[in-house]
Amino acid sequence: MLLFRSEEWVDKWCKRNNLERGEILSVQQVWELSKLWYGNRMSLDYHGRSMEQVAEIFKQAGLASKFWYL
Amino acid sequence: MNSQNEELIWQVRHFVYLHIAETTRPPSVDETATHFSISTEEASELYKELHNRHALFLDVDKVAIRMANPFSGIPTDFKVHANGKTYFANCAWDMLGIPAALHCDAVIDAVCTESNESVQLEVKDGQIYAQGGVPAAEDGGLSKLLVHFPLPFARWYDDLVFT
Repeated sequence: MLLFRSEEWVDKWCKRNNLERGEILSVQQVWELSKLWYGNRMSLDYHGRSMEQVAEIFKQAGLASKFWYL
Repeated sequence: MNSQNEELIWQVRHFVYLHIAETTRPPSVDETATHFSISTEEASELYKELHNRHALFLDVDKVAIRMANPFSGIPTDFKVHANGKTYFANCAWDMLGIPAALHCDAVIDAVCTESNESVQLEVKDGQIYAQGGVPAAEDGGLSKLLVHFPLPFARWYDDLVFT
């Protein structure tokens, strides 16, 4: 996942690499997702997560488009 | 894998993460073997098992940890200064993942793709700020900073380096 200054730069990068545009989130959205995704990563009890748990995180982060389907 | 090894495998994962938090770099197979008083071969097998479970990402040829998300085992354009140390993140998501994982304040130095513009962000007390201390949600410049996810979730593990 790469950082861009604007959607225009995303489109330039996609065109140059012959790729379709994926999903674009603001830094604020990614911060909220990060807290849910990585908040327990340092714990001994973290043993990965189930698809159901992943789906719940995406739901809590407000990521509901087909892009985030499991 | 028997239950004893099952317990050990997650202890190794935990050790790897604590080692990175302390030193900013992943432990070598030899360091992990020494820590758990096991052979290098046994430690290698545990690393490979964690790789197979997507709990670590190895440079398989070297049996060296390339990624323990959000941490990178190699230098990148995403530097995270936290707890008096400098960590490397794998990507624009993971640069935010490091303070989220460590539950700490951080200053992030990153480079925008294509425009090659250097940017700095700050995480403080659970909030993210642009340079100058403006909250992200209220700052026009920062709110225009974007993270591009090139692949849908279902394909993230097809090629983790590209993702």
